[in-house]
Amino acid sequence: MAQPRLITGYLSALSAQLPAPVVAELADGLYETHLHYLRQGLDPDAAARAAVAEFGEPSLVIAGYAAVSPARRVARRLMATGPLVGACWVTALITGRAWAWPVQPAVFLLAGVVLLASIGLIVSAVAGPGYRSVVRAGLAGCAGVTALDAFLVVAVPLTAPAISWITSLALAASLTRLMFSARSLRWCLADAAFNLR
Amino acid sequence: MRGEELKGHLDAMLLAALEGGPRHGYAVIDALRQSTGGKLDLPTGTIYPALRRLEQAGLITGSWSVVAGRRRRDYELTPAGRQALSGRRADWRDFSAMVTAALEGSPWPSPA
Repeated sequence: MAQPRLITGYLSALSAQLPAPVVAELADGLYETHLHYLRQGLDPDAAARAAVAEFGEPSLVIAGYAAVSPARRVARRLMATGPLVGACWVTALITGRAWAWPVQPAVFLLAGVVLLASIGLIVSAVAGPGYRSVVRAGLAGCAGVTALDAFLVVAVPLTAPAISWITSLALAASLTRLMFSARSLRWCLADAAFNLR
Repeated sequence: MRGEELKGHLDAMLLAALEGGPRHGYAVIDALRQSTGGKLDLPTGTIYPALRRLEQAGLITGSWSVVAGRRRRDYELTPAGRQALSGRRADWRDFSAMVTAALEGSPWPSPA
């Protein structure tokens, strides 16, 4: 049976943001809802209007999937733990007089840029309404934080003249976050695998 | 009942709708509507992300089938989902008894 244009348009709006298996499931539900109203005696167009109204705005459905995406979960956790890890590193770098270490200023600058970009991406993944943008921003933010943690864990013990207790604490925080990032990647890959089915 | 009021209870209601056996998304919504006497007032499209969340949490499991040429995802409770439903039911009974006692001035039911 040919579907009314309203239904195909609704599904197109969902397809622009959501993975194909998710849209296939929603399409099945929307067709069933349409059939339900047809059985109640509505003509096809009226039944399509009722079905679409019952489903809710596409943006609402997309925001629902964005809210449950592993990328947002990861971004939320990074946002919650970021200030603590950051505070440890700021204290460690200031008390260790990091500006006197044999490090090119460009390295500090690059690390700062990666940090700011990662924060922006994580905030966007936590607050953004679009599914695809949340997934991309969450993964990119997680990658940025992982790169920073890996850099700090490797570079600081090699560069710092001494490792204070606060530097040890900061290193432990970064190592813990690296392990979390590896686990997060597994969640995101599991979600990606679902979306390819 | 409005969506805001349902928040926090939706997961338990979805688990309860799957207690009788596997159901696809629309059938879950239909079962919820019937069990609530049509008072459930949520955009149908928002139920699907909630099912996805429960699946990610390991409380339900989904499998694909093809019906009338359309892909359909059927869900069923996992053992962890049954356990969670049982816990939510007990919590709800306690909570509703407490609120009823407070609102209606009736004494808190003593354990038998």
